Amino acid sequence: MSIQDKVKINKLPTGVPGLDEIVGGGLPEFSFNIVAGAPGSGKTTLAHQFVFANASPERPALYFTVLGESAIKMLRYQQQYTFFDPAKLPESIRFINLSQVVLEKDLGAVLQEITKEVEKANPAVVVVDSFRTMVRKPESDMDLQSFIQRLALFLASWQATTFLIGEYAEDELRDNPIFTVADGLLWLRQTAERNSIVRKLQVIKLRGQDSVPGLHTFRITDAGVQAFSRTFGLTARKRKPPCDRRLSFGIPELDKMLDGGVREGDSVLVAGSSGTGKSVLATQFIAEGIHQGEPGIVAVFEERPEAYAERATSLGLDLETPQKEGKLTILYLRPLDLSVDETMQSILDAVQKIGAKRLVIDSLAGFEMALSPGFRADFRESLYRMIFALTGIGVTILSTVEVDESFTEFPFSTYSISFLTDDIIRLRYVSIDGQLRKIMVVIKMRGGNHAKDIREYEITSKGVVILGKRLTNFQGLISGVPVHSDRSDSTEEPSLDTGIEHKT
Amino acid sequence: MAAASGMRDLAHRLLDYEVVAGKTSEPSVFATIRVYEKLRQSLSAFAGVVAFEVLAFRALTQAKSEAPGLWPVQIAADGSLQGLGEYETQIDMDKDLADKLPAGDGGIVLIARLLGLLLTFLGEASTLSLLRNAWPGETFDDRNSEQGRKA
Repeated sequence: MSIQDKVKINKLPTGVPGLDEIVGGGLPEFSFNIVAGAPGSGKTTLAHQFVFANASPERPALYFTVLGESAIKMLRYQQQYTFFDPAKLPESIRFINLSQVVLEKDLGAVLQEITKEVEKANPAVVVVDSFRTMVRKPESDMDLQSFIQRLALFLASWQATTFLIGEYAEDELRDNPIFTVADGLLWLRQTAERNSIVRKLQVIKLRGQDSVPGLHTFRITDAGVQAFSRTFGLTARKRKPPCDRRLSFGIPELDKMLDGGVREGDSVLVAGSSGTGKSVLATQFIAEGIHQGEPGIVAVFEERPEAYAERATSLGLDLETPQKEGKLTILYLRPLDLSVDETMQSILDAVQKIGAKRLVIDSLAGFEMALSPGFRADFRESLYRMIFALTGIGVTILSTVEVDESFTEFPFSTYSISFLTDDIIRLRYVSIDGQLRKIMVVIKMRGGNHAKDIREYEITSKGVVILGKRLTNFQGLISGVPVHSDRSDSTEEPSLDTGIEHKT
Repeated sequence: MAAASGMRDLAHRLLDYEVVAGKTSEPSVFATIRVYEKLRQSLSAFAGVVAFEVLAFRALTQAKSEAPGLWPVQIAADGSLQGLGEYETQIDMDKDLADKLPAGDGGIVLIARLLGLLLTFLGEASTLSLLRNAWPGETFDDRNSEQGRKA
């Protein structure tokens, strides 16, 4: 049998934004799925979204409600979601209540009732919500496993894609024979993390196709459940091969320090304490990109987009026009209970919408603060995923990070994330001749021969301006309290070894 | 508070459908019962017998405040209507009551109240979907339900 002879399994859209990517392109047609989780975790809403996305008058959906939830109340609440289309009732979606059968008879009768309705309607989708409530009667003739096995066999033969919805606690997952029958098992969780609710879903099992492993965050909004893949929907894409093209900052002296500019697809970290000009540098980077015809995204967390654009204007940089022309998007991401994945999705959507080549995240500290407390513990790991995903599609990322000025060490970031970045530019204050001046140094540049020079710079009405040549007549510049040396030869390498500790 | 006029109009339309569908000479009580039964079948299948029964009980309680002559009418455990025939007979015999509530009006009040509750809980679109399911041959137009019966 050749590859072409293999049976093709159609994938049905889940109707849940982001979930298709997680389950590997859609749910297998005719599959028998269990959606499990605690009450309030979004199981019914998810099932409704699938039903509304797939039901048609020719192949309707049958939605069996049992004891768990009053169908009237369920419909009352579910129709608040934007996916709910009342025009689909009852031709395409039929709600059938089985509570009387469950109360008065046994599981055999329930199976008979479902069979009767399925034979009558020939549905494409069948949902039983919630199947767990059917087995609360101890004298039931048929046990749940047998019921589910027979139901699965019957519905598969009728070519129906099925969802059983059940309330399960976390510890019930192991060794539960019921789950062996299912082709797909989706687990929805919600936990309280300090003052926020963190919702995550997991595809524990999905026969026949490759789903994205791990826990994926999801949110329930007016539009229903929205899932955010851990891989941000970029698993199927090939990573763009590294390229030697250099992107200019629009600051010629800095470009020289960077051996011609930032390598396209790199992740750059600009680290420095408050007021050293990190945001100014970031703004110049994005403005130069637009000048070069490279659309850009700025994700801001600490100030409003209008304020960000106004500040750019004061530096002689016009960010208003490119925004109107669709070449620049300034994203303001400030709610306090974001997950990294949601933030990423917003950034990714914006990147894809305008074909952005440059991305500024200003700043990582603001980004972390915008996250739900529960997600802050995963910040570093999430940042890794985010940077890997975006640089993989050729986006050059510049992140700013605030570091505490120390006179005993020279930290590059407070997050120990410098290993995630290809290039690091460090800005810091130094005390020279009774003035608090600023110096800049390129600490690291992966795959590039960057300058080792320590350069003084100023922030002027034209942005960051690098002054003169490298500072050669000082010792211990990076300590912040240098001392004059007698050397004035500008070609001699200054010593960086001041005995202070480097932290990455 | 009386049942909304839109709901009364809709109830009238349903009764008209049943009068046309049945024998025109039969008492209006049978048309009322047929409307009620169709709603019961449709709603019980969708929401369950118990859900329909409690909804019908609430509708009847409301209707009795508007049409006191409905006092002998009861909702059985399966949601079916009992005693409506007795009510209609009483209306026919009691001229005072007949002046206030023509025969069949109590039934219309009950149906209107039931529809009103459905509207409250499910909204117009879903209620009309249910009605389309129960009366597949008829046209239910959102505007007509609000503005009254078609001439």
